[in-house]
Amino acid sequence: MTTTEAPVAGPGRRPTAPGRRRRRPRFNSAYLFIAPSVILIAVFIAEPIAQSGWMSLHNWTIGEATHKFVGFANYTALFHDSRFWNALRVTVAYTVVVSVGQVLLGLAVAARLRKTTWYSALLRSAYFFPYIASLVVVGIIWKFLLDPQVGLVNAWLGDIGISAPDWLQSTTLALPTVIVIGIWKNVGFAMIVLLASMQQVPAFLYEAATLDGANAWQRFRYVTLPALRPALLFTSVIATITGLQLFDLVFAMTSGGPIFHTESVVMYLYEQGFVNFQMGYASAIAWVLFLIILVISAVQLRVARYRDAD
Amino acid sequence: MPTETITRFSDVADTPPSAAAPALLSRRVGRLLGQLAAALSWLVVIVGALAMVIPFLWMLGVAFRTSSDLYADPARILPDQWTLHGVRAVLDQLPFARLIVNTFAFAGGATILMLLFDSMTAFALARLRFPGRNVVFVLILATLMVPFQVTLVPVFLTLFHLGWLNSYQGLIIPRATSALGIFLLRQFFLRLPFELDDAAHIDGAGNFTVYWRIIVPNAKPALASLFIIQFAALWNDFLWPLVVSNNVNMQTLPAALTIFSSQSGIDHAALMAGAAISLTPLAIAFLLLQRFFVQGVAASGIK
Amino acid sequence: MPFPYRIAQRRFVAATATTVAAALLAAGCSSSPSGGSASSGVVHLSMLTGFTGPDEPSYQALIKEFNATHPDIQVTMTVEPWATVAQKLPASWATGQGPDLATPSSDPGSIFNYIKTNSVLDLSSAAGTGASKIDTAAFPSSVTSAFTVDGKLYAVPANLATLVLYYNKDMFAKAGISGPPTTEADFIADAKKLTLTSGGKTSQYGLSLADNQTIQMWPILQWMSGGDIIGKNNCAVINDQASVAALTQWSQLVMQNHVSPVGQTGADADTLFSSRKAAMEINGPWAADGYKSAGINLGIAEVPVGSAGPVTLGSTVPLMIEKSTPHPAQAEEFLAWYTGKTAQEKFSQVSGFPPSRTDITSAVSSNPVVAMFAKALPYARLYLAGQPNATQIDTDVYVPLIQKITRGANVQASADSAATQINQLTGCKSS
Repeated sequence: MTTTEAPVAGPGRRPTAPGRRRRRPRFNSAYLFIAPSVILIAVFIAEPIAQSGWMSLHNWTIGEATHKFVGFANYTALFHDSRFWNALRVTVAYTVVVSVGQVLLGLAVAARLRKTTWYSALLRSAYFFPYIASLVVVGIIWKFLLDPQVGLVNAWLGDIGISAPDWLQSTTLALPTVIVIGIWKNVGFAMIVLLASMQQVPAFLYEAATLDGANAWQRFRYVTLPALRPALLFTSVIATITGLQLFDLVFAMTSGGPIFHTESVVMYLYEQGFVNFQMGYASAIAWVLFLIILVISAVQLRVARYRDAD
Repeated sequence: MPTETITRFSDVADTPPSAAAPALLSRRVGRLLGQLAAALSWLVVIVGALAMVIPFLWMLGVAFRTSSDLYADPARILPDQWTLHGVRAVLDQLPFARLIVNTFAFAGGATILMLLFDSMTAFALARLRFPGRNVVFVLILATLMVPFQVTLVPVFLTLFHLGWLNSYQGLIIPRATSALGIFLLRQFFLRLPFELDDAAHIDGAGNFTVYWRIIVPNAKPALASLFIIQFAALWNDFLWPLVVSNNVNMQTLPAALTIFSSQSGIDHAALMAGAAISLTPLAIAFLLLQRFFVQGVAASGIK
Repeated sequence: MPFPYRIAQRRFVAATATTVAAALLAAGCSSSPSGGSASSGVVHLSMLTGFTGPDEPSYQALIKEFNATHPDIQVTMTVEPWATVAQKLPASWATGQGPDLATPSSDPGSIFNYIKTNSVLDLSSAAGTGASKIDTAAFPSSVTSAFTVDGKLYAVPANLATLVLYYNKDMFAKAGISGPPTTEADFIADAKKLTLTSGGKTSQYGLSLADNQTIQMWPILQWMSGGDIIGKNNCAVINDQASVAALTQWSQLVMQNHVSPVGQTGADADTLFSSRKAAMEINGPWAADGYKSAGINLGIAEVPVGSAGPVTLGSTVPLMIEKSTPHPAQAEEFLAWYTGKTAQEKFSQVSGFPPSRTDITSAVSSNPVVAMFAKALPYARLYLAGQPNATQIDTDVYVPLIQKITRGANVQASADSAATQINQLTGCKSS
């Protein structure tokens, strides 16, 4: 770890003029660097989160004059709520498969397409495109594509003789289908982040490896991969955090059906908060989810023995 | 670029032709298998890319199809019966110019601010030392873990108390920083060699100069990635502008597009035309930024 | 050279401080007031509805007419998806930031929450038979009672729809059926006859049924045989003999005879019929235009009559006034005009919906499509009428019930557990 402290500035340091105020220690400016973000986050994200925590301790309907304080009653009710556990199961299943899938596929694609050739650039754009499309639009497109009567997928499968089921209405296939679409949508993100990281690998490392007789696969395995570890961790953590907050995709495609087989935790939260007007209970769900995400992320970071300067 | 020649796959012609025959044969077979694997991997990648793109091509087709054409043969991508009804519906029913301006102002404004604020914060978290550095990072990361649906109402109330509802600052400023961006950039900045900073400090540079003159220029791939990711996210965010504003004049494009689908019927052509129109600027932005994603590595600048 | 760097740093410090300060100062910036405002005597009212899609033009036309005939009151209608309205409206109205008028949801049961949080205006004083009065006597009684809570009127119908039987005349002709079914027995027989298979797969469905994200159709199937979901005393009757018999019969038809696909959303069901893969569908007035432009030889008939007599489902969207609106009188005047004879007649003609009033016969008779829907008004029943938890009962209990029984679950057992859940939600005391 290198330091950036004042001592190295010895030779070039300007002599302090007499009577002039002593220059402030350099690290104070760090606070100024973080100030804009921290203030915005504090006001518009952290405070609302805290407020929702407060709401979770009440029976809270928006607009009501008073809200009854119920302590942890919402949380105990949640513990006994089978629908919540179902939603959690759905969400975790989705997250595990989609995170792993998108990172592995993103890695493979990034490795294959890391050059500046025009065709690589074209293919990279193809992979990234689903990621920048709106979740709602993607949900609508896929819902239509998978329609058993007028959808492209079943029509093509029918053309080659496969009688395909109603993907999004099957209690067994609905979640896997949503998972596949989740991977499809997010591969681009992993690819782009891993690609940016690949660019940072110093050229001389590859030169050295080649001189040692390494083939392409070996260069990938012993030079690229280790260098990508932080980026892989990053994409996994982000994939996990966003996966556990699954909402828009299922909202647009299945509304949590059939029979709650694709109902995610945030979908359940949405229904409780905005359909049944139980914002207190919905906030409790959000906080439980928050804690789960926190724990899982901490475990991920700890498992990779991630300290801040690697 | 130096990286290119080295990382190119293949013909590592490091075996002199005069090697022993069996060794030459197995090496040749090895090379052949390697090339086969390479070709196969290209095939898989190309098929995958098609899978990524075909749904959008189909969407584009639907934008120009009559509904009877669509129902008759959904599997076709190219329309049999063309119609401009969908496109016209979008252009007629939406105040297009204003929506585009609003969307650009919101997405563009917030993203640019975000790049600045996030990179500043990430720089401090990655390259500067100060008490509470880890705590700040963990807290920022933690804010990513709460779904937007639950902070929506409190944020609305905060905006109300600030008097920022129905205003551009209310639309943009709360979104002008992103925990994801901070995390991503910090990640990236940590990998840049610290010698760069030291060299600059020896020359008497202050932190801001190191940040602005050294770190930022070397972070182009990360900044470009972050730009497109966040710009797209904000561009596609239709809920937030609707929450902040009641005013039709401040609506953004995705919000307006949702009017084409309803419980009592979907105007497929209009919806898909709208979606296609909404995606186009993003696609263009992405293509333009392509050259930043793959860039010569900074570390090679260390002499 | 060291000097410029220090200056740069100081400039940076200043810049940051200024940005932050500016942001905080901007907090004092005024925002344009939402809700109504008055300028030079003209009152501006804002209205938020969820009528997206092909519906919107009809409503906008009506608003335009009002604005043209009422130069001193100008109404602007904004349209957003129902989900967005549901997320925004409670907080908007609670902070007085909301629109003067709004339809909170397509579900009439949504009014209860807004009444509970004191967010909406009591319209009782605006009701009556005068010129600027809301003539509640002209509404179907089921609608008035749905919108009256504790003896006070809180909403007027933004629209009123009944469900009728759409059928594909070509398919009927091909199957040798001379006309649409009039009795339940005919209905079942026709549905079976019109279900065609080819190569082991169903190529044509007799009836397109939807069970989720739709204006519900299954309750009609129960009502035809005298079954129901919730009885008079707020207790579930979904597991009584008539209901179970009806549910069993129809789920058997779906599973064994494949008369309908399973698990369709409302939109799916519409698409099935539009794409000529189904011969019949029970649907509302909004669908007529779409079907015609899809090129179907369309027939419309009343819902077939079962043992319990003629019955169909009616659906209405509540339109309410914000409690803290600065212009209650003008808003009430708008509602009075909106539900008045002239407006309803015009709306009917433009939208194809039946009027919300039972006393307009002229508009009804001139348009055969509208006439068909209006004819059903007297015997139309609202789904889960008067239930504060209607939405929850629908999403949590009824939809899963139908989805389970059409996938093979035992009907009696499923209905029993549904009844228990319903009783918990309605607060029914008896077991």
